Amino acid sequence: MPESVAHEAGSGVYRARGITKNYGPVAVLRGIDVTLEPGCVHTMMGENGAGKSTLFKVMAGLVRPNGGTLAIDGDAVSFAAPHEAHARGIYLVPQEPALMPELTVAETMFVGQLPTTTGLVKRIDWRAMRSRARAALDTLSLDIDVGALSRSLSIAQQQQIECAKALLRGCRVILFDEPTSPLTTHEVEHLFATMRHLRDEGYTLAFISHRMDEVLEISDHVSVLRDGMLVDSVARPQFDRTRLLSRMVGREMRTIPRRSWSCATDQPALVVKGLAHGSRFADVGFTLHRGEILGLAGLVGAGRTEIAETIFGLRARDSGSVTLAGEDISTLQTHAIIERGLVYAPEDRARHGAVLPMTIAQNVTSGLISRVRSRLGLMDHADEDRIGAETVRRYRVRCAGTDQTLRELSGGNQQKVVFGKWMGLSPSVAILDEPTRGVDVGAKDEIYALIEELAREGMAILVISSEMEELVRLCDRILSVYEGRIVAELSGEAITPERVGRSYLGHAEAQDGVEVAA
Amino acid sequence: MSATAAIPVRERAGAARRDPRALVLIGVTVATILLVGLVDHGFMSLQNLRFMVLNCVVLSLLALGQTLVIATRGIDLSVAPVLGLSAMVTGLMAQTGGLPLLGAFGLALAIGVILGTLNGLLVAKLAIPPIITTLGTYSLYSGLIFLYSDGTQVTSVPAAYAALGNGTVLGIVPIPVLVLGAVLAAIWFVIGHSRFGRAILAIGNNQAASYNAGIPVTATQVGAYAVCGVLAALAGLMFVSYTGSATVTTGTGDHMELQSIAVALIGGTAISGGRGPVIGSVLGALFLSVVLTALVFVHVPPIWYSAGEGLMILIAVTAGSRRTA
Repeated sequence: MPESVAHEAGSGVYRARGITKNYGPVAVLRGIDVTLEPGCVHTMMGENGAGKSTLFKVMAGLVRPNGGTLAIDGDAVSFAAPHEAHARGIYLVPQEPALMPELTVAETMFVGQLPTTTGLVKRIDWRAMRSRARAALDTLSLDIDVGALSRSLSIAQQQQIECAKALLRGCRVILFDEPTSPLTTHEVEHLFATMRHLRDEGYTLAFISHRMDEVLEISDHVSVLRDGMLVDSVARPQFDRTRLLSRMVGREMRTIPRRSWSCATDQPALVVKGLAHGSRFADVGFTLHRGEILGLAGLVGAGRTEIAETIFGLRARDSGSVTLAGEDISTLQTHAIIERGLVYAPEDRARHGAVLPMTIAQNVTSGLISRVRSRLGLMDHADEDRIGAETVRRYRVRCAGTDQTLRELSGGNQQKVVFGKWMGLSPSVAILDEPTRGVDVGAKDEIYALIEELAREGMAILVISSEMEELVRLCDRILSVYEGRIVAELSGEAITPERVGRSYLGHAEAQDGVEVAA
Repeated sequence: MSATAAIPVRERAGAARRDPRALVLIGVTVATILLVGLVDHGFMSLQNLRFMVLNCVVLSLLALGQTLVIATRGIDLSVAPVLGLSAMVTGLMAQTGGLPLLGAFGLALAIGVILGTLNGLLVAKLAIPPIITTLGTYSLYSGLIFLYSDGTQVTSVPAAYAALGNGTVLGIVPIPVLVLGAVLAAIWFVIGHSRFGRAILAIGNNQAASYNAGIPVTATQVGAYAVCGVLAALAGLMFVSYTGSATVTTGTGDHMELQSIAVALIGGTAISGGRGPVIGSVLGALFLSVVLTALVFVHVPPIWYSAGEGLMILIAVTAGSRRTA
């Protein structure tokens, strides 16, 4: 391993051409062309799942593309691992920095290329390591003790350490994967100061963010990705907030069919008031009515899942109340909340909802074992099969029989079984977190129909979804969550993809046209 | 940044400086010696102190290897049968074939490298979880002891071996303690000052990040298991030299694999990997040796030894993990 892998610095023009990436049948990147220039901050914008992070991972050697070429200063490059990209001067500052909690800051910075003494016995040259680490931190004006353990660092500091690691490795191209989302305003300013400093030194920087204000502040060039394609690319003089937003949402020409009927009543089923927890979310309040489908819109990480988990008794809260059918349930444990008629179908089906190696019948009855008839304390398997068969019929699960294991079913059919399991409890309120994740397009419509049917029967339903189409199609009313707060409420005609998109992309947009919830 | 100001400035990165556990362990061990010594002066006699130190040499060697493996976020249950096989093979060949001592060292080295490397390859190449891999090789290696010994056992060893196990230098320092000292110094250097050792810690801290940074993850893991195997085999040779005996249950019968894990943890090794203070592991073994001997001196009935040992391990490990949590 070389003492230092600093390459003779080229100008640092990093060009990607026709980059494609598929995960199985799913195309994440479909032919991206992008060029990063030295002395320039190039920002990638786009909605969840647009492919921004994947693009960065391809460019930094963490993910191998299916097609396309990369070239640094005109030399074609391809990477089998990130350290090969480092050697060519390309460094990715990940969203979650790669921490070595038990090692010192200095050693974390040098991991993989610790300096050694020359001589017969090569031992680690701690002194050189510390002074070089100190120098790199000083370059970035970072006041971090190189002898401290890494685990004592804040996330902001960890990101700064990653920047310093890029400098130590002589990298000229630094990619930042959504660095600002875990940071406070003050920390973002500090990060931007660092980025500006590097840019002025002629480094090539690329940046991912959802936050329009930030993007307009720091960027010299903005590219917009949507569904794995580059849909817009503009230089600073041509920045236009409205144009970028509509490019991101990208459905201004399309209308999503909304159902003409609503069976929402004015009888409150679930009332949430002033719910707050630490820095995750605050002042969350809403009323969900019987027969209503209420959507929670927002970016991944906005705090929607945390809010749902808190309502369901899975997380602690600092303050606030949750009332179900007139009864305060905020101090109850989850099993007691389920008994009172509230269920939560989490987004990660494989981990929390479905037991893949078990049969359909077993899965359906796993939530309601006590309702299966038993004889002398032994479960009556015929009754279990009967309940399973009922679910299969009612929710139109396509399967060979109730004794099939869930693993053999498609994502959509698995989700129907999970629905059947929860609905077997006849809840009055259901919270559905990403109900169609991993479900193919055809099966989505069936699941929407099921949700609508449940609403017609009077169930109150809260849908958390990152899919615009799903929210617009399903919901009677939509609440937009931004950084743990409800920032807008839309209902009826106001529910259009563009308005929903604008409302959850940030406060700034709430002002031009969208109502802010009181 | 206000948060950084709170972090005290440290001049040098040293395990003992950061983790007071080594000092605490020494304190507790000395306190135990003094307390029990008050009840029975024989406990503090030079002869007994020497016995307790000698008694922890074999376990210390195992624990040093175990520490390296646990530091990679692994575990090696097979150290006990590796010790047993090494003791049986070198002991029998010395007893019946007149194997010279130097040959025994070479043989132990070979046994350790082969069996340890096999563990490492299974873990690193086939990605079998370490606890399952070494549970399997535990039985496999135990079976080899039965196959090789074929019903016989070691009952005596030549004088050269006995000297290695029981002799002293200048009539004062026991040779096994010198051997342990040399091994400890070597392992301390490896984990503290070599790229291989720092790679072990980096992998234990964050394997994916280590790979991304260009650390040869597979080779490092295999190396850690191989070194662990070598130390276990060396422990076997030291055992047979010290006691002059080896049976098919040597090592496994006393659950030395579990003891080696326990004393490593007592010494401050993190079960979640990334931290392996090797001096602590030896201090942990010494502490266990003192406690076990103390049980004898304060007339705890022998049927309580195993439960007492377990209790002490639980207390020590719990107290340690609280402090570093």
